[in-house]
Parts: sequence; C-alpha cells; structure tokens
Amino acid sequence: MDDQLAVDAVDVVKAFGSIRAVDEITIKVAPGEVYGVLGPNGAGKTTFLRMLLGLIRPDSGTVRVFGRTWAHDGIATLDGVAGFIESPAFYPYLTGRQNLEGLGLLDGGARSGRLDEILEVVDLAGRADDRVRGYSYGMRQRLGVAASLIREPRLLVLDEPANGLDPAGIRDMRALVKRLADSGLTVLLSSHHMDEVEEICDNVTIMRRGEVAFHGAIAELRAQAPDPGYALATTDDARALAVAGRLPAVTATRAPDSGLTVTGPEDAVSSYVADLVRDGIRLRAFTPTRTPLEQLFFMLTDTGVRNEEVA
Amino acid sequence: MTATDVLTGRPTQAAPVLGSRPGLGAALRWETRKLRAQLRTKALLIGAVLVPIAVVVIVHSQPRPPKDTLFGRFATDNGFAMALLVLGFAAQWVLPLLTSIVAGDIFASEDQHGTWKTVLTRSTSRSTLFWGKSLVSIGFALLALLVLAAATIAASVLIVGHQPLTGLSGQTIQPQSAVTLVVASWACMALPMIGFTCLAILFSVWSRNVAVGIAAPVVIGLVMQLVGALGGIESLRPYLLTTPFEAWHGLLAEPRFTGPLLDGVITSAGWSVVCLVAAYLVLRRRDITGG
Ligand SMILES: Nc1ncnc2c1ncn2[C@@H]1O[C@H](COP(=O)(O)OP(=O)(O)OP(=O)(O)O)[C@@H](O)[C@H]1O
Ligand SMILES: [Mg+2]
Repeated sequence: MDDQLAVDAVDVVKAFGSIRAVDEITIKVAPGEVYGVLGPNGAGKTTFLRMLLGLIRPDSGTVRVFGRTWAHDGIATLDGVAGFIESPAFYPYLTGRQNLEGLGLLDGGARSGRLDEILEVVDLAGRADDRVRGYSYGMRQRLGVAASLIREPRLLVLDEPANGLDPAGIRDMRALVKRLADSGLTVLLSSHHMDEVEEICDNVTIMRRGEVAFHGAIAELRAQAPDPGYALATTDDARALAVAGRLPAVTATRAPDSGLTVTGPEDAVSSYVADLVRDGIRLRAFTPTRTPLEQLFFMLTDTGVRNEEVA
Repeated sequence: MTATDVLTGRPTQAAPVLGSRPGLGAALRWETRKLRAQLRTKALLIGAVLVPIAVVVIVHSQPRPPKDTLFGRFATDNGFAMALLVLGFAAQWVLPLLTSIVAGDIFASEDQHGTWKTVLTRSTSRSTLFWGKSLVSIGFALLALLVLAAATIAASVLIVGHQPLTGLSGQTIQPQSAVTLVVASWACMALPMIGFTCLAILFSVWSRNVAVGIAAPVVIGLVMQLVGALGGIESLRPYLLTTPFEAWHGLLAEPRFTGPLLDGVITSAGWSVVCLVAAYLVLRRRDITGG
C-alpha cells in the first residue's frame, strides 16, 4: 500500500464559464513527500485543491487520493486526508472546543484526550472555551490546523496556510508545518511565496493561469534560477552605471523610481561594488531585491512587472 | 520520532482506513447540538409557550368575542373554542414562520458562515449531512408545534374553562370528546407543517441565503391562502399546501367528514417529497466554491 501515491491527479480540467481555472494539470505526490503548489493569484491552486477534497467536480481528468476516486469511493476518498481551503471557517456561535468536538463527530468520533493534546499543539488551549466569534484571524487559522489534526491524517492539504498572518504567525505556521512534515505526514501545500515553498517543500508545481509552468524538485528549480538582483543607491548613479559597463558579468539598469538595479553572479557583483568604492562613488543602499528563486518564479509566472510594482 | 508520532498520534504509516464510518446518527447529533447552541432556537420555543398564553389572556379579557372568525363567537367563554380560534390564526402564517426560521436557515447558514467546506471535508457524506439537517428541521417543526399546541390548549382550558363545546354544525360536544377533537385538530397541522419545512429547506439550499430561506415559505404560504380564498379556482385548491391547514374543520362537524384530511395527507406528502428531492439534487450537484 505504501508505494501507492498519496495524490495522483492526471489531466485535470475545471472551467468556470470561459475561464479555464485548471487546465490539464497533472500532479503526483508520493507518501511522505512535502509538495508545494505555487502560483500567483488566480493561478488555479485553490480550484485544484477543492477538486482534490471533493468540493467541486473536475470537468475531466482523474483525481486519485491513496488510490481512491470520488466517483468510485465517495466520501471514503477522504479517509486519512485532512486540511483546509482558503481561510478555515467555523461556527461563530460555538466555542473552539465545541467546533472541534462536532467535527470530530462527523469524523466518526475523536479519541478522548486527543482534543486537548491538539489544542496544546496549536497553542489554543487557553482560549478553547471562548466562542469562535471572538477569535482573531490567526487563532482561526490555528483552529483550522487543529481541526485537520484531529482527523489523524496521513495527507494534509493546506491552502496558503500562512496567508493573512503576521510575521510571527507566519514563522510559527511554517515551523508547525515543518514539524508535521518531519513526523512523516504527507503535505500538499499551496502558496504564492517562493520562500515558503523553498523552505518546506521537496517538490513543487508552479502554476500559471491554470497550467503547469514548472514541475520538479526544488533543487532543479534552484539550478534554473537566474542571478540574484540588488537594489543600489549611490552618490553618483550615472557614473555607477558607467562602471557597470566595464564589467560584462554585471548588468545594471536604472530602477523605475530611483537608484539602480544590478544583477549578476555574486562574485561579479562584489567586485563591481569594490570598483565603485575605488572610483570614489559611495554606496548609500545595497539590498537584495529578491532571491533568485523568487526571480525565477516571477519569470515563470509572467507577473514580474506587476508584482514588482506591488512590492 | 517514535513509531507513534507525537503530533498525529498514530503510527505514521498506518493504512488510512476508518474503523467506524459515521452515519446519520452523527449528523443528527451534530445538527441538534448546533441548534441547541443557538439563541434563536430557545427564543422560538419560549415564544411558543408565552405568546399563546398572552393571546388567550388578551382575547379572554375582551368585552366582545371576535365573532367573525371560526369559533371566535364562543372563544371568550369556552376554552376549547379558544384553543381552536388560536389554531385557525396560527395556521395562517405562524406555523410556516415557526418552522422556516430553523429550516430556512439550516442550509443557508453554512453558506453564510462559509462552513460547507469545513463539514464536507470530514468523513460524513453530503447525502448524510443533507438528511441529518432535514430530519433535524422536521424534528424541530414537530417540537415547536407540540409546544405551541400544549401551551395553547393548557392556557385556554385553565384560563377560559372546559365547558361543552358547540360544534360547526351546532351540535354540543361534551368536554371529554372536545379535548380529543381539539388535540386531534392541532395534530392535523403536523403534516402541512412538515410540508412547509421541506419548502423552507428547498429555499435554503437553492438560494444559499438565510433571509430568503426564512421569508419565502411564509410569503408563499400567504399567497396560497389568498389564491385559495379566491372564487373560481376550485380545481387548484386541493394542491395548495395551505389547504391541509383547514382539514380539521371536518372533525368538528356533525356528521364528521375526513375527506379533506386524507387529501391533506396526500398534498402535504407530495409537497414534502418534491421539495426534499429537489433540494437533495441541488445540493448533491453543487460545486462548493464559496467560503
Ligand atoms: N466559483 C468561481 N466562479 C468563477 N470563476 C472562478 C470561481 N472560482 C475560481 N474562479 C476563477 O478561477 C481562477 C483560479 O482561481 P483560484 O481561486 O483557483 O486561484 P488561486 O491560485 O487559488 O488564487 P489565490 O492565490 O488568489 O488564492 C481565477 O481566475 C478565478 O477567478
Ligand atoms: Mg487560492
């Protein structure tokens, strides 16, 4: 049984009217793997995960979860599977604990004592008896993780779990996902942050407008990544630009607002900076713009310009 | 890591197969729990006790009885007539409203809270959840009817009295059989009330909107009554879901006639089945994209 794929989705298509939200996507996740589905807004990540969880039906293609399909196995497809789509939702008039108890009922009953353990894990033990109505966004997100864990899953499906969290929340959520992954759980995670996926995942599918833009191991992705980029501000940008002209490995352009954008292999950029100093041009700012993988992500998903403006 | 993982609490490579699959019982327990936790459920049931008592007290204290309504003429000095007067009034819109406040909400509130995705990704199927919600709504409708009937009859008899009742054909009905007939008349409301429950379920599923789920059955009930009261459409009357609300009249005539009661059973059952099946199909086929 263990060599069976946790997720085996083949040529899956889902259209909403004229929008092909998911267009012939094939994704295979082996047991124990931590798999990332990466893509900008509207790429079709959520739509794919909804099909996996049986919330919507694919127009064509097959989705197998541990060898089971919705058409053949119905709700049994979700045995051993848990997770949440977008932000998790609960009944505001019930307490966190009551919500979990009720969902446990629908799972066939949670093991006694399990609930308290899990509330401890997600750091909600102190607030479990408050109504969810009064929960913060981050607390709801953690309650969503708790609701998934009481199913004692083998496959955890998380749709942008860190979305909307503050930096500390993001850090904690990533740490939690990592711990879960280390414990042998298969994790299928969607994200629009390359660093999140890079940090946690073994393999990744990058989606763009419903299609696969890249598919493979994070290591492969790194190999394809372009040179790192830096934002540079100097006392004399015009001369700095001229200096860059003398170094073939370095490309410098004027940034849209002010300063320069410099790309090139790390060594070349270092010697460029040394040259600037030698020429009496002083640096006022020198910051990496985005990691090479992020750069690659924007190149692959075709949204570099727009996102640069947003960022 | 040990063989049993701390976080997931199970051997990490165990086969993902459930020991016991939750059935309808789990869905019923869950829906009942949610209903009990909601303020509106308690408010409705308390209202079903207090409002009829208040109505009985107010009507009883009027110097002149409400002559132009069925049994109104005797209501101020006969408890049984009072209970039937309240019944006639309740059937107009109170009963449909009482049930749709729960049934019209029970599906649409999952849309409102975005919780479809939460419950549909557990181990209970859509169908089981559907029947769980539907049965709990029907159960609530019957409970509300029972409470309303009990409060009305008890208040009427205790406040106004249990004098012999004058029937619809002018016959005198002794208190013992009057009690039975009044209880039976109220019991006749059960089936059409289930019909309205199913109508509310359909609107709740189809509109995904709590307000529509609650208001539409009440409005439709009022329209049906209006249509039923118009002349010249006799052929339509037996099919209206409000007609069974009047079937109890035959019980208080001499000789008794039960034809409308039987028709009412068929009409109510027909509406219930059609609405439930339609609601079931809509929910089964639906893509859960919201929330
Ligand atoms: N119910 C729907 N009706 C119409 N279009 C939809 C619906 N759901 C999704 N779409 C469209 O399908 C495409 C993919 O949406 P989806 O939510 O899957 O993207 P996503 O990758 O999850 O994006 P995000 O990062 O913003 O969550 C989008 O163009 C979206 O507008
Ligand atoms: Mg999404």
